[in-house]
Amino acid sequence: MSNVPSDLKYAKSHEWVRVQGDTATIGITDHAQHELTDVVFVELPAVNRQVQAGEACAVVESVKTASDIYSPVSGQILEINKSVVDNPALVNTEPYSGGWFYKIKLSQPAEAESLMNPDQYKSQIEGH
Amino acid sequence: MAKIIAEMVIDAVTMELPDTKTVKFKWPDGYDIDFKTGQFITVYWPDTPNYKRAYSLSSCALDRGFFEVTVKRDGKMGTRIVDWARVGDKMSVIPPTGRFLPVLEPNKHLICIAGGSGVTPFRGFVRDATRRKLDTKITILYSVRTTNDIIFNQEFRQLEQENPNFKFQVTCTRLPETDPWTGRRGRIDIEWVKSHIADMANTVFYACGPTELVENTEHMVVHDMGVPKAQMLLEKWG
Repeated sequence: MSNVPSDLKYAKSHEWVRVQGDTATIGITDHAQHELTDVVFVELPAVNRQVQAGEACAVVESVKTASDIYSPVSGQILEINKSVVDNPALVNTEPYSGGWFYKIKLSQPAEAESLMNPDQYKSQIEGH
Repeated sequence: MAKIIAEMVIDAVTMELPDTKTVKFKWPDGYDIDFKTGQFITVYWPDTPNYKRAYSLSSCALDRGFFEVTVKRDGKMGTRIVDWARVGDKMSVIPPTGRFLPVLEPNKHLICIAGGSGVTPFRGFVRDATRRKLDTKITILYSVRTTNDIIFNQEFRQLEQENPNFKFQVTCTRLPETDPWTGRRGRIDIEWVKSHIADMANTVFYACGPTELVENTEHMVVHDMGVPKAQMLLEKWG
């Protein structure tokens, strides 16, 4: 059973969002990392880049596949997690803590509200 | 023989499509390993030993002295292999493993459902059955966007000529209406799959390709068609 923390919002494409004021932290879920298997490479967006919700802005590559990561929310990239670039296995071992991808200044905070709550996301991943 | 990691020379490369390349790794002297058709190898460049990718073998267990994998330009590794791997280059190869194995028994019918580069392990299945002149029926149901995306098209057509028990069926999902393709169009659906089944109890289903295709296929076969899970093998991102 995948871990789905109760204090996060979720995108259909398996990113999680932790909103704190007008900023949000983005990563991929425990379910996603489990499906990907061992992550071997992470490419993150440049700081200050403007991204739109739904835009591919990062790449995560596992031993089996490479996947685009879609920003669940719009805004400006404030910070990226250099630790996960140096140690991609953090995505597998700490998907909700040390394995975060980037922090973004929200330009449309309502987008985060419209994302899935934990129960909705659980229903999605248990549907398969 | 122990599962040793071997450095192998690239003996040949073949561009199957503009974004898809088959790489042939020559076994080093003294390398003689038991493996099964349908398994995958894990490879890495000697200069980046922590950055590994696994690829299904597109060759089969009857092929001795080399491994072949067919790689799409995808991610950092796929790009490096497709754009830069040349004959004479060396890569490290972790021996084959995996349980995506063909049940090559006389009364069985293997329905192999593939999307994109997910067709690559099925080349090994068909090669194996054809060379051994087995009675096992194999049908590949292959979903591609357009006719330009069919990997191994000529080879599978040739294998159809050599093996009366093998059928290669393609469906195109994104062809313009004006395209002269006379084959099937649209996604793989339950009616198309059912139309190829004669004896459900002896049919084994395989699905390989992008996660969405594999999961949808699993749902269709297990949930909608009521096939026991034991009659289905899945390989996501194969």
